[in-house]
Amino acid sequence: MSADAGAALELRGIVKRFGTLVALDGVDLSLERGEIHALCGENGAGKSTLARIAAGLLAASAGHVEARGAVGLVHQHFELVDRLRVWENVVLGREPRRGLRLDASAARERVRSLAAAYGLEVDPDAVVETLPVGIAQRVEILRELAREPAALLLDEPTAVLAPQEIDALFATLRALAARGTAIMVITHKLQEVIAHADRVTVMRGGRVVMRTATRETSLEQIAHAMVGGDVPALAARAPTVARPAFAARGLRAGSGAHALREATFTVGGGEIVGIAGVEGNGQTALTDAIAGIVPYAGEMLLDGRPLGGSPAARIAAGVRVIPQDRRREALVLPWSIAENVALGDQTRPPLRRGWAIDRGARDALATEIMERFDVRASSIRTSVASLSGGNQQKIVVGRALAHAPALLVAYQPTRGIDIGAAALVASRLIEARNAGTAVLLVSFELDEVLALADRILVLYRGAIAGEFGRDGFDRARIGALMAGAA
Amino acid sequence: MSARGAWLFAALLVAAAAAAMALAGANPAAGFFALVRGALGGEHQLSETLVQTTALLFPSLAVALAFRAGLFNIGAEGQLIVGGLFAGVAGAAIAAPAWIAIPLILAAGAAGGGFWGGIAGALRARFGGNEVIATLMLNIVAALVANYLVGGPLHSAAATGAETPELATTSWLPVLLGGTRLTVAFPLALALAAFLRYVLDGTVFGYSLRAAGDAPQAAARAGIDLGRTALVAMTLSGAIAGLGGATLVAGVLHRFNVALSPGYGFIAIAVALVGGLDPLRIVLAAFAFGILQSGSLTMQALAHVPKDTVTFIEGLAIVGLSARHFAGRRREAG
Repeated sequence: MSADAGAALELRGIVKRFGTLVALDGVDLSLERGEIHALCGENGAGKSTLARIAAGLLAASAGHVEARGAVGLVHQHFELVDRLRVWENVVLGREPRRGLRLDASAARERVRSLAAAYGLEVDPDAVVETLPVGIAQRVEILRELAREPAALLLDEPTAVLAPQEIDALFATLRALAARGTAIMVITHKLQEVIAHADRVTVMRGGRVVMRTATRETSLEQIAHAMVGGDVPALAARAPTVARPAFAARGLRAGSGAHALREATFTVGGGEIVGIAGVEGNGQTALTDAIAGIVPYAGEMLLDGRPLGGSPAARIAAGVRVIPQDRRREALVLPWSIAENVALGDQTRPPLRRGWAIDRGARDALATEIMERFDVRASSIRTSVASLSGGNQQKIVVGRALAHAPALLVAYQPTRGIDIGAAALVASRLIEARNAGTAVLLVSFELDEVLALADRILVLYRGAIAGEFGRDGFDRARIGALMAGAA
Repeated sequence: MSARGAWLFAALLVAAAAAAMALAGANPAAGFFALVRGALGGEHQLSETLVQTTALLFPSLAVALAFRAGLFNIGAEGQLIVGGLFAGVAGAAIAAPAWIAIPLILAAGAAGGGFWGGIAGALRARFGGNEVIATLMLNIVAALVANYLVGGPLHSAAATGAETPELATTSWLPVLLGGTRLTVAFPLALALAAFLRYVLDGTVFGYSLRAAGDAPQAAARAGIDLGRTALVAMTLSGAIAGLGGATLVAGVLHRFNVALSPGYGFIAIAVALVGGLDPLRIVLAAFAFGILQSGSLTMQALAHVPKDTVTFIEGLAIVGLSARHFAGRRREAG
C-alpha cells in the first residue's frame, strides 16, 4: 500500500550487501507517474544496483520494493540478441503463438504498432547487429514498452548518443511520461538533468544525499552533492604554441561498420586535438593503428620521421597510448603498482639495467606517480586489482606521462572514474600539452572534448567530417556533424 | 587457492586415499604408515624419495614456466621422453671423459625437449594453434616415435627390453651418496629452481613472460611480442623437461628405455599447481609427491595396498587442480 496515490514505484529502506561491501545502505526512492526523475552519483555510488533491484533483476538484502505494474530497465550495455531481427528481440520471451508455432506475422504487427504508437521509428525486420547504436537503443526501449511498464528505468541511456539524438530521446521520454509512465534516467551528464528532468536524486556511497526538484537546484549544487565537496578546477592552459609533431595521411584501418575509412590530420606539439564522435565511428581503429597493434594503410610521421613497425618501435619513438579498457589493455591486475609502472618501458633505461628490471628506479617511479597523481593506495606493493577505477586510471596516465612522450593518445581517459580523479587526469593532460607533448584526445563525451581540446575533429563513419578551432567551437554544429549531418 | 580451500582439497585427497585402501581390503592407517616409512624410514628410503623428487622437479619447473607465460603445456611428458631419447642416443655414441660426455648428454636432452616443446610454441606463434591440444597430441607422438626407434633402428642387441645400449660408465652422473641412486641431478634441479625464480622475478625476460601470461592484451600494447614469447617459453619449458629426461638416462637407468617415465610429466602438472607456479614452493611440492612415489612400493609390500592407489590419488589431484586453474583463467578472461 502506497501512501502516495501517484507513485508508480516505491523503494523503501533498500539495503544491498555484496559480501562485506555495503552497496546500498537504506535507500528510499519513489517515482511518480508522469515524471522524469534523474538519478545521479559517481561510479560506485550504487545507482545501477538500485535500478537492478527496482526492476527485480537483483534481490535486496533488506527493504521493500512496491511497483504498480511492470518495471522496465534499459541497460547501459544493450542486452539484445545481435543476430536476431528487431521484432524477434522485442517479443523475445513473450512470443505470440499459434499452436506450437511462433506467430511471426502477429509479432511483427505488434512491434510495428508499438513503434508507431510511441513514435519510435524502427524497421521491424532489420537485424539488430546492423543497426546504429541510437536505433538499437530504441529496440531495447520498445522491448521494455511492450510489457506496458508502470515505470521505465534507463541506465546511462545517453552515453552512446550524439547531442541531437539525446534531445530526441528525451522528447520520447517526455511523451511517455505524459501518458502516465514514471521515467527514471541514470546519468552522470548534469546538463541533461537540468535540461530534462523534473526531479533529481543524488546518491553517494550507497546513500541518498540530495533529493529535490530540478528547478530548485543548479548544476553546481548537484555536482557538489555527488562529490561531497568542491569539484577541483582544471589546470590553467598556457597560450597555444603548437609546433609540427604528428601527422597522419590517408589512414585506414579495421573493417565493417566500425572501420576507420580515411583520416588525414596533424597533432602539433603543445596542442590537444580532440576527436569528437559517437562510439563506433572508427575511434578504436584509429587509436589501435597509432599504437601499431592492428594492420592499417596510410602513413604516419612523428617529428618528421616515419612512424611504423611494432608497438615496441612506437613506444621507443615516444608514442604513448592510454587505451580505452584500462583493466585489460593497460594494467596487469594481479600485479603491484610498482610492477605495473614499468610496463611498456621494461626494455629501456632507467627501468632496465642489464638483464634485470632496476627495482630501485621502478619503485622510485611508482612512488613519484603515486604522489603526483594522488593515488590512494597503502603502498606501491598494493595490487592494482584492489584499487578503484579512478586510482587505476591515475597509474595508467601517470605511467604514460612519466617519460615526456612526444605523442600521447588518450582514448576515453576519464571513462567510468569519479569526478575528482577525472579532473586530475584532465589537468595532467593540459600540463603535458603545456610542456610540449602532442595530445590526441579521443572521447565520446563531447563536453570533455570541448573543455580540453585546442582543435576538434569530428569523426563520423570512419572519416573526418569537420574541424573546429577553439575560438570557433560550435556545440550545435559539432553535434550535428556527429549525428551525420552534411 | 585460498589456504582453507587448499587444506580442504588435501583432506579430500587423503579421504579418497583412505577409501581406496579400504576398498582394496587393506587397513588405511597401516597403509599410510607403510607409505611414510617406505619414503622416509631410512637413508636408503630417503635417498630414493629424493631421486623421485628430482625426477618430478624438472618437468614441474617446465610446466610452471609455461603456465606463467599463459601457456598450458601439458606435454612435459612427451618433452621428457624426447629429451631422454636424445640423451640416450648421444650417450651411447659418446666415448669421452666425464667432463665432456656428461654436459653433452645433458645438452642433447635439453635440445630434444626444447625441440619438442618448440613445435607447439611455433604452432601457437605462427598460427595461433592451441598449445593444449598440440602438446597433448605430441605426447602420443613422442611415445610412439620412441617405441619405434628403440624397438627398431636403435635397438640394442644386448638389451632385453626396448632400450638403447648402455652408456659408458664415465658418462654416468656422479652419485652423491655411495650405495644410493641419488646423483648430482638433485642439486642441479635445486639450482635450476633458484635460477628460474630469479629469471621470472628479476629479469626483463621474466617480466615480459609473466605479463604475456597475466594480461596478454596489455603486454602486446606494451611492446611485448606475444608470438615470440610463446615460442621462447615453450622451447625453454620443453628444454627443462628434456633435461629432466636426460638426468634419468644418465643418472638412473644409464640408457634410454621406453619405460623411462611412469608419468612424471603428468604428475608435474599437479606438482606445479600445488607449488603455486613458484619455483621454490614447487621444490617442496615435488618432495611431497616424491614421498608418494617412493613410498608406494613399500606400502604395497607391507600393507598390501596396491601401489596404484598413489596413481589414483595423483590423478585426482591433477584433474582437480587443472580444472580449478582453467576455470580461474576463464573467469578472469570473461
